[in-house]
Amino acid sequence: MAISSELIVVLTIIGAIILDILLPRRLKFIIALVSILGSLTAFLPIIFQFANYSSPEIMFEGSYVIDKFSLILKGLFILVTYLTFLLSVNFVESDEYYQGEYYFLLLCSLLGALVVTSSRDLLTMFIGIELASTPMFLLSGWKKGDQKSNEGSIKFFLLGVLSASLILYGFSLLYGVTGKLVFSEIANILIQQDLAQSPLALLSAILILAGIGFKISIVPFHSWAPDTYEGAPLPVTAYLSVSSKATGFVALIILLSKIFFDSGQGLGIVLVFISGITMFVGNLSALQQTNPVRLLAYSSIAQAGFILSPIAVANITGNFEDGVYASVTYLIIYAFMNIGAFLVINILQRSIDSEDMYDWGGLAKEMPLAGIFAVIFFFSLAGIPPLGGWFAKFVVFRSLLSTGEIFGLSLAIVGAVNAVIGLVYYSRISKIIWMDSPKEEIQSDEESFIPSPLKVVGFVSLVLTIVSGIFPGIFSNLGEASSIFFNS
Amino acid sequence: MNSLSFLNNGLGLSIVVFFPLITAIIIFLIPKKQELLIKLVTLGSALFTFVVSLLVAIQFNFNDASTLQLGMKVSWISSINSNYEIGIDGISLPLLLLSTFISVLAIIYSFEHLPEPKNAKGMMSLILILETGMNGTFVALDLILFFVFFELVLLPMYFMIGIWGDKTIRSVAGLKNDIETRLYASIKFFVFTLFGSAFMLLGFLGLYFRGNRTFSIPELIELGTNGAFSGTFATLVFAVLFLGFAVKVPMWPLHTWLPDAHTAAPTVGSVLLAAILLKLGSYGFVRIALPILPDQAVTWAPAIAILSAIGIIYGSLACLAQTDLKRLIAFSSVGHMGFVMLGISSLTSIGINAAMIGMVAHGIITGLLFFVSGSMAHTYHTRDMGRLGGNMKLLPKTGAILAFTAMASLGLPGLAGFWGEFMALLGAYNPLPGLNVMIFRSSMVAGAVGTVLTAGYLLWMLQRVNLGEPKDEWLDQELHDADNYELVAWIPLVILTVLIGVFPKLIFGATNDAVIALVSKAFGG
Repeated sequence: MAISSELIVVLTIIGAIILDILLPRRLKFIIALVSILGSLTAFLPIIFQFANYSSPEIMFEGSYVIDKFSLILKGLFILVTYLTFLLSVNFVESDEYYQGEYYFLLLCSLLGALVVTSSRDLLTMFIGIELASTPMFLLSGWKKGDQKSNEGSIKFFLLGVLSASLILYGFSLLYGVTGKLVFSEIANILIQQDLAQSPLALLSAILILAGIGFKISIVPFHSWAPDTYEGAPLPVTAYLSVSSKATGFVALIILLSKIFFDSGQGLGIVLVFISGITMFVGNLSALQQTNPVRLLAYSSIAQAGFILSPIAVANITGNFEDGVYASVTYLIIYAFMNIGAFLVINILQRSIDSEDMYDWGGLAKEMPLAGIFAVIFFFSLAGIPPLGGWFAKFVVFRSLLSTGEIFGLSLAIVGAVNAVIGLVYYSRISKIIWMDSPKEEIQSDEESFIPSPLKVVGFVSLVLTIVSGIFPGIFSNLGEASSIFFNS
Repeated sequence: MNSLSFLNNGLGLSIVVFFPLITAIIIFLIPKKQELLIKLVTLGSALFTFVVSLLVAIQFNFNDASTLQLGMKVSWISSINSNYEIGIDGISLPLLLLSTFISVLAIIYSFEHLPEPKNAKGMMSLILILETGMNGTFVALDLILFFVFFELVLLPMYFMIGIWGDKTIRSVAGLKNDIETRLYASIKFFVFTLFGSAFMLLGFLGLYFRGNRTFSIPELIELGTNGAFSGTFATLVFAVLFLGFAVKVPMWPLHTWLPDAHTAAPTVGSVLLAAILLKLGSYGFVRIALPILPDQAVTWAPAIAILSAIGIIYGSLACLAQTDLKRLIAFSSVGHMGFVMLGISSLTSIGINAAMIGMVAHGIITGLLFFVSGSMAHTYHTRDMGRLGGNMKLLPKTGAILAFTAMASLGLPGLAGFWGEFMALLGAYNPLPGLNVMIFRSSMVAGAVGTVLTAGYLLWMLQRVNLGEPKDEWLDQELHDADNYELVAWIPLVILTVLIGVFPKLIFGATNDAVIALVSKAFGG
């Protein structure tokens, strides 16, 4: 069945609730087990469908479409959630309470993300987006006793609600103008009645862009991200910076290429400027950070600028194929290296619990594995070959330059400059743990012990990051497949 | 056909490129305590790689040195039409051999001479990864493959400088706090090179889109010599390629990372940096920039010549002002690479041949200079030439080699350094017809003045360091002269310096045909 992976996730969600009610506290770890298994099982139909793919499967009168694009991104979301579960196991156990809810909420968010990838009408997409982000409001405030966590989650919640209403307003304008819900019909009517470049269509595009802008944390809608990231539990932050961001991007990609592809250059130019400014703001702010989580927060803002840039230029040139290819490839590679980067912070914080990364001096001598992880993931984020990040940056540059048009060229130059700025702060963690001398004596071996779920996350991300750098063909084919079938 | 022909279809070159990397991965799996095993495995790997590179050289058809040989082409990233395309010709072969050879020597030297914190495992695996990057750059015939190898050297060198580098604290203009030399130098090296290569990548993409969506260097050369790239587009592409390569060479005024990196790097780091990494830039000019964008090369040649001349004079004058021995040698690299670039900028076969032999000679001689000076810094615990003196009496073996190498470096006829400088000046005297002769002859005069200055600062250095009476502070100290590991690493370089000096045909035999073919194809000269 075409939506079996969604159904499996739904069943897992139900299972998690029931188990949470039935199980005594000491057996609650079973919920974690069920969730992990559930997410792995949900991955199987994706592989099967991908292998036997022939043509897009259109369901519910065009509202829900299973094509290569959606399959690839579903696979990504499931894998990322699986890795987040593994990251969470030790954290949630040490927390002692609310295990059931934790996994329940993450699974709900996953379901939302899955829905977004296939949604081809306004309502389905809105429900998907909100289902993906609402649980995150709760999860980001998980550390109840922590003031920063409370502050971050309130900020996130308020802005999240605002962004939801902006999206909804934009959607309702579209519906009001066209009277249709399904994207292809909306696009048809906009073109037939010559409304694609009308002020109303543009207004709705801007509103939607602003709403989704919060989700993907692009400037000027980024201000919540550092506070929320800092306050949230680390696994949740990793999920926020990868999966939530990707959900927003998927929605944006679908909307831009299915509805607003003919909205004239104006929208594209706005996007180009936003993406350039986002890179600069993210990178220049990240340079100032001493808190590793805030550093990654700003880094993920800068990365959002990179991911946005090919779609922005595609909106001007109309070359969505190259644009989507670049953005999707970037999203896939970014997901694994960023999870890896959060894993490194997680491991290091277990050893020396500090909010100042300069306290971690010389830690790699005690924890060489964490040291190697740090080198791989952070330099991959910086885009240094032969680590995966270089290829992500490369496809972005490639799509920016593909038409040789001035906005793409300028954005490519901005990107190149930002890649260099990024290196300065991405190299910092490796510098601290490998080159600086220890500030305080590091105690026993027990501190530097890495629990096995974290090791699994580390090695999975490590392999994917290195393989995607040395044999980029594999990931690049996924990106290409998604873009070609997406346009059909 | 012969018994070695199985190496022909790219297998030999692939082994040369990837064997060190595979060994590095194996070394990761050996426990840190098995230090001797790690060192032996590393040395074995580097020796094996060197032997295979020699076998490849035996298989190389010198009568057809202008053709790319012994290569292969298989699909690598199909969606962007990038291939694993490798091969060598007379231009890359000497540099490839230099790279595999210097790597062996660097590893032998590291057996007993690891600076704090020792960590042989880390150092050895970094040298091996570095070797893969260097060898790969010299055999890659696909722009993206070239880019990946070109960048692969950054991480190992960054960590080599950052972890094993000089720990003295210094103040840096523009930074609030004082910083350890190694930390400042390592990130400066990294940022400078990445800045150049990020833009270089944009240039590669430009060629790709204008050149029928291919990254293949031979195909692009074919297109370029037929005039496929022209106008503002080509000017911009040449500019960014120039940026990427010139930072690496380094050409004045992009050189400022070099003295810092060299001074801070541990001895093997300096050696590899000087001997091989700098060549990646000048090789890039000869392999990519000139043949693919010949018209632009003609336009830019006078500018390159002027910058090279400035580099020669500036490097020599800076040397005269140094008190730090390693820093002096670092600045001398700026001057010597200036000669290499001056040769390239003449766009004649003499000039480019000069550049080729200049690269090899600089690799051997400056590599040796860094070996010796690093070893001396280790023995004396200072690089301050004001405190050194009477080295000949204190460390006779080291002193003798230092004296020999300095003579080679200043371009004494009969030693390897002579040919590159002499022929570069010759090339600049008679540049490609159509180039502004005035500019090139002025550059030649500047270069000639540079040779005098070079002799001046090297002899002055020898006088301060080697000659005279030892200072009192050293007399009652037990100083160790060069040990066997050092001699094994150094003597082959001494022999090579003499050999190439006496028989420059060792290099020209490989490069000449290829260079002539390149020049006639690209510039019709």
